[in-house]
Amino acid sequence: MKNKLKMYRATLGLTQEALADKIGVTRQTVIAIESDKYLPSLGLAFKIARVFHVGVEDVFIVDGKEVSI
Amino acid sequence: MNLKKYKQLRAAVAFFVAALVSMSVASKTYLLAFSAVVTGMIFLTFVRSKVKIIIDEREKTMREKAAQMTYAIFTPTIGFGALFLTMFARDEYPFLQSLGIVFSYLTLFLITLYSISFFILSRQMGGGSDEE
Repeated sequence: MKNKLKMYRATLGLTQEALADKIGVTRQTVIAIESDKYLPSLGLAFKIARVFHVGVEDVFIVDGKEVSI
Repeated sequence: MNLKKYKQLRAAVAFFVAALVSMSVASKTYLLAFSAVVTGMIFLTFVRSKVKIIIDEREKTMREKAAQMTYAIFTPTIGFGALFLTMFARDEYPFLQSLGIVFSYLTLFLITLYSISFFILSRQMGGGSDEE
């Protein structure tokens, strides 16, 4: 799972701290998500997407292998 | 108040409480030590209610994994320790055998507690039934 969180954050000119405040987590969590070390819950993913006014799938990109049935 | 300020305040309160306790224990005024600890606890509980974020989902996940690892390591260690002590320290060291028996009950207590917690959480999270 990859994400474009850093790119979207830069687009809005938000700091990691400001984004963390908006979505109700710590700055360490934002850093962990940006560096693909932590996969957020569905609820948090929706919150993040809502901050940027985009869909969850625009921020978080699933690899083809991860969704193979 | 944010988390950083809360952590700084918590460290300061812990420092003052520790200083007060050590001073009061040195002068044998135990009531002061007790009241310092209680006041510190009440103050921190009040401050904690004012903090916006105490833990978030990442920290919860870390705590879950840490608890799981602790259980997975501690239970077999203490279980095998109990087995070893009860089997090999039977004749020569009776006190070690007693310790082994205590370890055995502790292991059983841990496993029982884990099973009960798992059962309750499973019920709360909708598991356990075969309904489709």
